[in-house]
Amino acid sequence: MSKNIKSTKGLPLVTLSYISENAVLLEWPEKVCAVQHQHIMHCQQQIGLALKSTVIDSIASYASLIIYYKFDQITHDSLNTLLLNVVQKSHLSNENLTLSKQTSETEIEIPVYYGEEAGWDIQTVAQQTQLTCAEVIQYHTQTTYRAYALGFTPGFCYLGELVPRLQLARKSSPRLSVPKGAVAIAEQQTAVYPNTSPGGWHIIGQTPLDMYSVKNNEFESTISVGQSVKFVSITQAEFLSLGGELIKEYV
Amino acid sequence: MNKRVKHNTDNYLTVIKKNGLCSIQDLGRLSSQHLGFSAGGVADEYAFLFANYLLGNDQNSAQLEITLGQITFKAAQDCTIAITGADCSVYINDNPIKNWQAHQVSANDIIRFGQPKEGLHTYLAITGGIQSQQWLNSQSQTSTENRLSFGATAIVEGSKIELLNTCFASKEHNQHTAHINYKRQLTPSLFYNNIQETLILRFIPQPLFLGLSSKEQDLLCAHLFTISSDSNRMGYRLSTLPEKIITTITNLPKPTLSKPVTFGAIQLPSNNQPIVLMKERQTIGGYPVLGAVIQSDLFKLCQLRPGNKVQFMPTTLNFAQQQLSALYQKFN
Repeated sequence: MSKNIKSTKGLPLVTLSYISENAVLLEWPEKVCAVQHQHIMHCQQQIGLALKSTVIDSIASYASLIIYYKFDQITHDSLNTLLLNVVQKSHLSNENLTLSKQTSETEIEIPVYYGEEAGWDIQTVAQQTQLTCAEVIQYHTQTTYRAYALGFTPGFCYLGELVPRLQLARKSSPRLSVPKGAVAIAEQQTAVYPNTSPGGWHIIGQTPLDMYSVKNNEFESTISVGQSVKFVSITQAEFLSLGGELIKEYV
Repeated sequence: MNKRVKHNTDNYLTVIKKNGLCSIQDLGRLSSQHLGFSAGGVADEYAFLFANYLLGNDQNSAQLEITLGQITFKAAQDCTIAITGADCSVYINDNPIKNWQAHQVSANDIIRFGQPKEGLHTYLAITGGIQSQQWLNSQSQTSTENRLSFGATAIVEGSKIELLNTCFASKEHNQHTAHINYKRQLTPSLFYNNIQETLILRFIPQPLFLGLSSKEQDLLCAHLFTISSDSNRMGYRLSTLPEKIITTITNLPKPTLSKPVTFGAIQLPSNNQPIVLMKERQTIGGYPVLGAVIQSDLFKLCQLRPGNKVQFMPTTLNFAQQQLSALYQKFN
């Protein structure tokens, strides 16, 4: 049940797959690419506007977008036509564009203490990447990351793209408990664990910053999808004064 | 958006004994996945909708989902209840009552749930529904979020389950619903007919399954999978794929970037033991996906226990949509 939409250059631009009773998955070429992701988010917004209350929810990831919809309210043919139109229009308006400039207000800085007491795996990461700990920190803090998706646990935001020098496969066996605020890396991605949870990524530091807030029973994630994120190295004293708590790993 | 409900402290059920699991559930937070929250919601929608239908409630009225029974309540006021799902041999005081029916409860009555012989989830609905704090526009509770203090507090011994003030249904009402029930032939035993045998999980295939030769597809669909003990409201873990197709599957191209996953998605981790994603699934996943089990079959799967057997059978999207529409129409 899939359908390809061709771009003007004749290359497949997006694949539509009706993967569940009430869900259609749109997939773009598999890459971590800010311009493509911006296009995906634009499509998400436009599809929401065009379909209005027929859409139940939509979730964007690195190179894909899922639309949950009320399947009894629209036929396949009309949905296909609509999605095709939106994607092509957005693609044409986006094609020769560079990434929209992020304003300083939309960029978020995450303070990180990279000491061994917080970065449980920083030494092994250094060994495996043949770098010093200082170089690992330098590589991690030099990039401005893009927030590609929210998921896994509340407030968990997938950030990319990590420099190739730091890219490692996930740990062969995940930890049962990763501390709240752990800053971690895996493959092309980096993220902060918002709460204590199981996790298979390499922990290189810890932030005292909360990854979400709840006000009036409303949930707000600290990082929004599409936002720019930078990590800033702080000292142990600064970490503690910002309310950070060092947690020992029990092995 | 998320309103705190008005408290009616004079009308409630008190949990006086609890051994199994019990949570407040409605149809879930269907529009909160973009925030990274699982859709959540009731495991067995058939039994849930059946109970609300018996009482003339809204389809989405919150109920108690009782897993493996073993819970006792005391009613503060008269009320009408309905019990559906796994049969827990329920008693009101000393009188055994029937499953899949509405019952009248009087103030100070004791409602006692035993352990079900088969099935997992039992639903206790009350006319008018349960009142509790909403989270993400839903009353559904999840165990992971309870720990983070989102939504209503977890149910423990001593908890008071608050009800609407007017939850007494007249006898005429009950006769009326019984009449409709008979006319429409709502027969739960037909819905769950093959639960004792192997449950056939019909699924909408994805490229990973379609990449197998037709012989290999047949092999996979002839295979009996056993439900593993690690299964829960998040996912059902199954035993290993048949040996003969593992090499082919391993060599098929697979995506590397995480993407959104649906209810019923059959994930295939590198240990070749499929996981069928259930109501408390994550929103995004990185494992390759064979296809998605149709939703009307997932309401049967969630009632199965570790050790039970399942088998896969490919179907079409149209069939899946027809089945789901038909299920919802029964309770309209």
